[in-house]
Amino acid sequence: MKLLEYQGKELFAENGIPVPRGMVVTSALEAEEAAAQLGENIVLKAQVPVGGRGKAGGIKFVDNLQYIRSEAEKLFHLDIEEFSVEKLLIEEKIDITKEIYMGLVVDIDTGDIVFLFSPEGGMNIEQVAESKPEQVFRLIVDPLEPPPLYQLRHFIRQGGFQGKILEELTKIASKLLHIFLKYDLLTGEINPLVILPDNRIIALDAKVEVDDNALFRQKFEKKFWEERDLLEKEARDIGVTYIKLNGSIGVIGSGAGLAMATMDMLEDMGFPPANFLETGGGITEDLMYNALKLVCKNGQVTGVVINIYGGVNPIEKGAKGIVRFVRERESPPIVVKALGNKQEECWEILKEGGITVITSVKTEDAVESIINLINSSNEKTKIVGEGVI
Amino acid sequence: MSILLDNETRAVVQGITGRIGSVQTAWMLDYGTKLVAGVTPGRGGETVHDLPVYDDVYEAVEKHGANATVLFVPGPFLRDAVLEAIDAGIKLVVAIPEHVPLHDVLQMKSAAEKNGAWLLGPNTPGIISPGIGKLGIMPGNMFTEGKIGIISRSGTLSYEMAGLLNEVGLGQSTMVGVGGDPVVGSRMIKILQEFEVDPETEAVIIVGEIGGSSEEEAAEFIKEMKKPVIAYLAGRTAPSGRRMGHAGAIIKKEGQGTVESKIKAFKKAGALVASKPSDVAVLIKECL
Repeated sequence: MKLLEYQGKELFAENGIPVPRGMVVTSALEAEEAAAQLGENIVLKAQVPVGGRGKAGGIKFVDNLQYIRSEAEKLFHLDIEEFSVEKLLIEEKIDITKEIYMGLVVDIDTGDIVFLFSPEGGMNIEQVAESKPEQVFRLIVDPLEPPPLYQLRHFIRQGGFQGKILEELTKIASKLLHIFLKYDLLTGEINPLVILPDNRIIALDAKVEVDDNALFRQKFEKKFWEERDLLEKEARDIGVTYIKLNGSIGVIGSGAGLAMATMDMLEDMGFPPANFLETGGGITEDLMYNALKLVCKNGQVTGVVINIYGGVNPIEKGAKGIVRFVRERESPPIVVKALGNKQEECWEILKEGGITVITSVKTEDAVESIINLINSSNEKTKIVGEGVI
Repeated sequence: MSILLDNETRAVVQGITGRIGSVQTAWMLDYGTKLVAGVTPGRGGETVHDLPVYDDVYEAVEKHGANATVLFVPGPFLRDAVLEAIDAGIKLVVAIPEHVPLHDVLQMKSAAEKNGAWLLGPNTPGIISPGIGKLGIMPGNMFTEGKIGIISRSGTLSYEMAGLLNEVGLGQSTMVGVGGDPVVGSRMIKILQEFEVDPETEAVIIVGEIGGSSEEEAAEFIKEMKKPVIAYLAGRTAPSGRRMGHAGAIIKKEGQGTVESKIKAFKKAGALVASKPSDVAVLIKECL
């Protein structure tokens, strides 16, 4: 779950990382009222869960209160990468002497927590990392033995800081690390972290992503989910992973690898997949029924391949869900390949329900079968059509 | 012979009294797996399928010389159960659950590395050495005894692969599910090294996926291997992940993580790459 900037800043502030004074508003009128309390120099920041907001025109500086309302209106009418702007963060404008980068991330490739720090922060940090990699410092964090303050100080000192500023940066680094570990973050990034003319240090931005698998122990209010698509949101409620794609064949697989292999084969046969859907190992009757319902909500779907193996639950449970679906609803052609514990029972249920069953181990048999079914139903439509003429 | 799971393995089932743990224990016993005990805190003194249940792993190690564990405890409790098993001296830890918090995985992985334990998973079907036993949820009927090693990131695709091999008369020495999560306990390359020195394994199949760099890393070792390696990679049509912030971009290594980069790395290392699972069976026949 990605937090919006203001949510990330709330988290920072609660844990002792200084952030600018600011308020969240949902209308231009509220923006005006908020600005009146914050002073003459104001920044309006669109709250969307994607990067590149500045370049998309989502940040406005205003130095005259009479323009607040019109500038806020403009932002509320903006769409940034499919996200409409529903909230603005209004902050005092900060004078900056130096921009710094500080971030923690899990390196998925190595399974390490990496602390990144650069004295050259700001919008162009990725270019800095490429052209001046010696200006981006890294510290691998052992999750069982996080580095004590003195190691963090040693780490930050590489950026050329000393004295009070080094001490302040070290404290912020320690707090960021604390937040990262305490709240199960996947990303905890401050860019820029700025030094003010009076040597105070403030987090001007907050990029925070929380591990969805840890939400059972993290009490974040689910103010916002990152799905751009309503179907993806529904998938989460059902307990499956769903990603909408552009093709026409629905795919349900027990396991991401099997689902992806099925998708790849469909693509190779000239029938691109309409979605990725992974059930996980615990298929129940309801889960399968709901998954099928979800896949068929996409109007592009002309057929569905279900490719499943028995996991922690016996496989005939899923078969019952499939049969229930085709009995209750208008359904496109469905082909089911199902193997594993109690597979014979599963096939029996499906065949009685009038569903095409593949009992071989080859996924391409299921893929070929659904294509044949679709082609033959197209043929039929064509003949009926000609008959009418 | 086989790797990791062999005739010396004496396993405990952590979470044996749960619904899934109990059912899967019965299936593992039916398959002939040498299970010596179950562990569920607060349930010591009971029995499940005639196996004694203990309150902690230490007791199972003391009384039965347990040296492996398979875990069916719920995701939220997995970390402590795994750390306990490793602390009790268990050297093969098979963590079945999915939806485990990533920070917990990182801690388990760190503990396993420090203690020289194998950690398979989380989100793994487990490990099966046909004819010897299985620690996991894979259907035993999909596997047969033989000389092909399988390393898989995907559970169900590994069943499919074994089934396809059976059809051409090739059984398996061991199938190791490394786990489907972005970060898992043991790297593919380590398991490949075990297969290379296992006298009963004649060839190795890698079932990989888009994402991460474990295949690219494994390819580095394939260059030195004597045994043939055949790879299949799923996910050419999968959309790439969405990210936020710059940190991901800064640490990313160029040219890794895509199906294309993995295919390239494998081919360069001398492995054969199949474009679909059933082609693996064809390619492997050519190598043996």
